[in-house]
Parts: sequence; C-alpha cells; structure tokens
Amino acid sequence: MTAIAPTVFVVDDDASVRKSLTRVLVASGYAVEQFASARDFLARERCARPCCLVLDVRMPGLSGLDLQAALAAAGRRLSIVFVTGHVDVPMTVQAMRSGAVDWLTKPFGATELLNAIQRAVAKDVEDRSDEARVAEVEERAKRLSPRELQVFALVVTGMLNKQIAGVLGVVEKTIKVHRARVMTKMQAGSVAELVRLADRLGVVHLTGPEVALSPRPDGLAADR
Amino acid sequence: MWTSELTLVAVVGLALIVGEALLIVWLLVRRASRRRAKLLLEERLRFETLLSELSAGLIHVAAADLDPAIERGLGQIVTFLRVDRGNLDASGDGGPGVRISSGRPGVETLPWVMDGGQFPWTTEQLRRGTVVRFTRIDELPVSAAIDRASYESAGTRSHVSFPLCASGPMLGVLSFDTVRGERAWPDELVERLRLLSEAFASALERKRMELSLADRWRLEQLLSALSVAFSRLSAGDFDHGIQRGLHQVVTFLGVDNGSLIEFSGDGRTARSWAIEEWMDVGEFPWMTARLRRGDVVSFSPLAELPDDAAVDRHSYLAHRIKPQVAVPLQVGGAVVGGLVFGAVGAERAESKELIRQLQLIGEVFANALSRKQGELEAQRLRQDLAHIGRVSAMGELTASLAHELSQPLTAILNNAEALQCLLAEGAVNLELVREALEDIVADDKRAGDVIRRLRVLLKKGDLEFAWLDANEVVSEVAWLVRSDAVGRNVGMRLELAPDLPNVRGDRVQLQQVVLNLVLNGFEAMREPGLGDRTLVIRTARDSAAAVGISIEDSGSGFDETDNDQMFQPLYTTKTEGLGMGLAIARTIVGAHGGRLGAANNVDHGATFHFTLPVRGEETA
Repeated sequence: MTAIAPTVFVVDDDASVRKSLTRVLVASGYAVEQFASARDFLARERCARPCCLVLDVRMPGLSGLDLQAALAAAGRRLSIVFVTGHVDVPMTVQAMRSGAVDWLTKPFGATELLNAIQRAVAKDVEDRSDEARVAEVEERAKRLSPRELQVFALVVTGMLNKQIAGVLGVVEKTIKVHRARVMTKMQAGSVAELVRLADRLGVVHLTGPEVALSPRPDGLAADR
Repeated sequence: MWTSELTLVAVVGLALIVGEALLIVWLLVRRASRRRAKLLLEERLRFETLLSELSAGLIHVAAADLDPAIERGLGQIVTFLRVDRGNLDASGDGGPGVRISSGRPGVETLPWVMDGGQFPWTTEQLRRGTVVRFTRIDELPVSAAIDRASYESAGTRSHVSFPLCASGPMLGVLSFDTVRGERAWPDELVERLRLLSEAFASALERKRMELSLADRWRLEQLLSALSVAFSRLSAGDFDHGIQRGLHQVVTFLGVDNGSLIEFSGDGRTARSWAIEEWMDVGEFPWMTARLRRGDVVSFSPLAELPDDAAVDRHSYLAHRIKPQVAVPLQVGGAVVGGLVFGAVGAERAESKELIRQLQLIGEVFANALSRKQGELEAQRLRQDLAHIGRVSAMGELTASLAHELSQPLTAILNNAEALQCLLAEGAVNLELVREALEDIVADDKRAGDVIRRLRVLLKKGDLEFAWLDANEVVSEVAWLVRSDAVGRNVGMRLELAPDLPNVRGDRVQLQQVVLNLVLNGFEAMREPGLGDRTLVIRTARDSAAAVGISIEDSGSGFDETDNDQMFQPLYTTKTEGLGMGLAIARTIVGAHGGRLGAANNVDHGATFHFTLPVRGEETA
C-alpha cells in the first residue's frame, strides 16, 4: 500500500451493495467515496490522487455505460471496474473497448473485488506517470518556436539537414542552428533520444512543411 | 107398486146425493191434492232452483274459495231438507282428506264415512258407485253390522251417502243424516242429490287440478330458477349455490332438511352438502348403498325400514327424522349422487307425485354436479395455461430477477468478508461488527423476499378466492418488475387510490394479469429512439360496484383494428413470447367477473384497463 491511500469511487443505486463494498474497501485500507447515481459522480471534481471507479451498469437515469461515455467526452480518464447483476456480452465488449479495466458479475466476493481494484489502481498510477512524463515533454516542446517545431518534426523523420533545408526552403546553416536549439530545448543528447520524445508526444509522421506540429490533443492527455 | 117406485126414487135420489156428495168430496179431495201437488211442485221447483244455483255457483268459484262455497251449499241443503247434518268428505291425495260439514247446532258429527274400519260395508258400496240410503237403521243388511254399530253410536237414524266421482277414482263422499227422526229418501230426491254430488265432485276435481296445476307451475318455476342459478355458478361459488338451491327445494316441499350427496368416480367416497348439519353419508350406509344402485329410497314411518337398515334407523332416530325420501342423481346412466329430503315433524305419506317432482329436481342437481366436474376440468386446463403463462412471463423477467437476487447476495458476501478482514486484524470495533451483521440479516431477508415472491407466482396451485387489496396486488408486481424497468430505461410510477374496497379474487392470478399487462407495456416501449418511456400503474374506484386497475404506457400505441384480436390466443407482434399474455389476462379477469379492455391514449401509448367487482356485488 502506498503512503497515500488510493481512493475508490463506488457508484451504485443499490444502497446495501454500496455499503457492503465500502465496508470491504475501507477494511482493506482504501479511501472510499459513495455515489447513488451517475449524475452525482459527474458532479464531483477530478481526483488528483490515485483512484479508480467501481461502477454499476444498470441504474435508473444514466446507466454505467452512459457515465463511461460522459467521462470520455469530458476528457476524464479513469480506471473503471464495472459491476453488474447479469452477464450481457455485447455490453461487456463495449465497456472493455471503451477502456474498462474489469467487469465483475454479481454476486462477487471481496477477493475478486480487491484484485480488480488493485489492477485498476495500478493502471491508474501507471497512466498517471505516463501522463506526467508526457506533460514534461510537452512543457519542453512548448518552448520551441514554430520554425524549431517544424525542424523537430522533420529531424525525427530521419532527414538530413540538407534535405530539411530543401523542404523548408532555407539554407542548411540555418537548419543547423535550429536543430541545435531543438536539441537543447528538448534536452535531448542524441537524435535517437529526440525521436523517443517525439514518439511520446505523438509527433511521428510529418508529410509536408505546411503541416504544423502540435502536441497530442489535450483531450487524450490527462485527467487533471 | 108405487112403494117400490118410491123406493127406487129414494134409492136413486140417495144415490144421487151420495154420488153428489162423493163428487163433492172427490172434488174437494182432488182440490186438496191439487193444492198439495202444487205445493210439492213449488217445493221441487225451489229445490231444483237451489241445486242449479249451487251447481252453477260452484263453476265460477276459485279453487281457494271452494271449501267455503261447498260449506254454504251444504248448509242450504241441510236446511232445505230439514236433515240434521250434511258432510262432504274429500279424500286427500295420499294424505289426510278434507271434511266440510254443516249441521244443526248440538248435533254430534258423523265419523268419517270412508273410514273402512268403522264403515266397511258403506265404503264398499260407495266404491262400487252405489248410493247408500236407509230410512230406518233396521234396513241395513246383516253384513253391515259394523256400519250399523257405528251409525248407532253416532246417533244416525236415517242416512244417505253418495260417492263423489268425476272422471276417475272416488274423490270423496257426500252424506246426509237425520238424528232426531227417521226420514225417507225417495228416488226422486236421491236423483236430485246425486246431481248435486256430481256438481260437488266436478268442483273438487277442478280444484284438485287447479292445485296440481299451481303446484306444477311452482315446480316449473323452481326448476328453471335452479337451472339458471346453477348454470351461473362458478366453481368457487359452487358450495354456496348448492346450499341455496337445497334451501329453495326444502321450502318448496315444506320439509325440514335436504342434502345433496356426490359420489366419487371410484364409488368409494362421497361428499355431501346440506342446508343444515345433519347429513353424514357414513351414518346411512343402507340408504347410500341403495342410492348408488339407482333406487329411490322412501319410507314413512321408520318401521318400514328393513332389518338390514339398522344403522340407518339408528341415525334417523338420533336425528329425529321420520319420513324421508331420497332419489338417485344420474348422468348418462351413471349414478353421480343423491338428493335426500326429510322431515323432523310428523310422518307423512310420500306420494308418487312427490317422487316424480324430486326426480325432476334431481336432474337439475345432477346437471349441476356434472357441470361442476366439467368446469373443474376446464378450470384445471385454464390454470395450467395460466401457469405456463406465468412461467413464460417470469422467463422474460429472468435477467431482472437474477439481478434482484444478486444484489443482496453481493452485499451479504462482501459484508461477511469485510467482517473476516476486521477480525483478522484483531482490532475489532464491535460497533462495526454489529452494523455489518445487521446489514447481512436485512439483505438475507431481502433475498428471501425475492424468492418468496417468485415461488408464489411460479407455484401451480388451486385457485384461492379471497378478499384482496388491489393496491397490494399491484404493488407486489411493481416490486417484481422494477429492476426490469430500470434495465429497459422505463420510468415506472404507481398512482394508487386510497381507501379502495377489497376485491374478490385469486391473488396469484390477479398478479399475473397485472404482470402480463406491465410486460406488455414495457414491450410497447421497446423501440429505440423513444423519448419518454413511462409506465403508470393506476388503481381507482371504477364505479360503485367495481375497482379499476389501469396500466398506461407511453409507447406507440396499437392498431385500433386489432383491438379485439389482440386478446385472442397466439396473437403477438413480438418475435418472442407465446402470444398468450393478453388472452390469459382477459380469461382471468372474466373469471373474476370483471372486464379487460384497451384504448390508445390521446397523446401517445396505450392504456389497458380492467375492473374487478367489489363486495356487495356478488353475482347470484
């Protein structure tokens, strides 16, 4: 268990199920927040700590799947453990495709639940560190000028300075200067490192000089 | 010479005088006799007038007024003939007869002339159609010694009696007596009185026919009333209906008790209904055995019972039943039961006519019994069908019900494991343990409730009619389907009227009706893209006589041309399902004395509505 207890959000319209899950989770050292409906949860602000969501599929009003879609639309990435009273294969497939970590069919016991929660929290932590790294690279990329960004994009495609100069219609010497600045600002020691950073940013295939480089869209970036 | 002439003259003169005197005397006598004859004629005329008036008067007398009319007539004749008493003894139809008499005050009445014990000879003569008359008691023949003694002890000095015969057997006797003196009964008078006796006889005959017509009319009324009542009997009301029927028959017959016995097919057991608790088939083995053989069992008095009926005799004595008549009930040649009537009071002769009536009444009861058998068979089939319908409806709900059951099970398991976890850590907070245990108990009860409700609906039992709260019936179903409603994204609402009178019905079947209609409503809102999915279950006072239950959906409604069709079996617009839901619902509602119908709503969707009669509106 980490120093800071991860938070588990329990969203289920059934009070007794909610209460019992909470009891198990609290006994296992998790911080638990309960919600009786999907709407109540949507109203909650994003969580900065490691967390995951235990979500009932069948609820009056917004269903569990509706909530998953709403979260995605709002750019909130969350590890979700779905719980449901009955097996519905198409629903399961849809939920997993949309990034659910697990799918528990009621009735399930504490072991199943805790295992799923553990996986979900682990994934959350992993996602968070990824996101942190991406964010840092993004920060560096933000300091690049538009021209440097263009050079960056072309360098990582494996072009030589001469070729880049040709594509951008400037002299090779200018490219050299830009390239050095890119390496410095991105804190890359080699072209290979620069390529890895670009990969993390999602800047891979540049086909033409007119295509502006941009980091990954914010929506996919992080839950914070 | 002249002396002889003189003598001759004198003789002739004397003769003439004598002759004249004789003529005068004759004339006088003749005048007197003419006057007497005239008086006689007048009297005869008066008598004739009296008789014809009496006869004519009797024709127009209603049966009920006949006895007083005869009594008045007898009085007039007794007065006219200056006799001391006149009697009309009419024999009853197997029972005690009627005596109408008129006499001078203080004159002792004559014993019943038709009493074979006191008047054997007279009775014999009368039966042969002969008029019995004597001016003096000595005129009676030697063979009439017993009669003579009886007449003497009654003070009779002269007597005339006529048999009353109309078209058939002797109906009675008309007799006149003198006590104070003797009186001749000339042929002429006898002839007149015989005419009168015929007038009385035909009036009596008419009365008997009118009474038997009235009886027959009453019997017809009774038979048709029973037939109608029995044909409307549902299996649930059968016992009550039979008892009411028995009561009517008992009233009709004027007896004290009546029972209907039903023999089972294997001929071993019997079931009985009685208007009073008196008839236990086991107490009457002899009678029961004879009924089973198809015999009519009739006795009065008890002494008529044979020796092998000792057990029965004992029972009759214990129940103080004197006369009894029992007829077997037959359907298609097989004895299905018996109809037994008895009286506690006096013994009474049970006539052939009564047995014939009982046999007619018995046919109605036999029909009711066989219809009940048929109805039970049909009811069993309906129940089987309804059960299949329920199982199929529950099948549609399986997923939802599994969900409903898995909720408390999940809670129980996790609460228990949380407790284990707490105990393992050693630091036990008793308050937490207590709370968790309370929740486990509550959730276990909840799971039990789900199973109980399921079992009730899935069980295949007999109909149990009881007084039910319609709101309770509806709420139970709503509870069962609420999870399904959530899964279907349907908002379900109950609008229950308070203070509804109870309805009579079988809880399971009525829940099935509501369940079918609710599932039907859910299906109607199945199509995707429907904005509002709302199902409202409503109870209300439909009228003074009924409670109404309606299920309103917000689907797309139904094709109005299908309105009647959709209640037919196997009609369905769904790909799954038997298409029996609405048909079963309508059958059940019908069997409960209600109506089920459907109408499209003004805005969208349809409403299914059914009624159930309330207390006080029981059908006869």
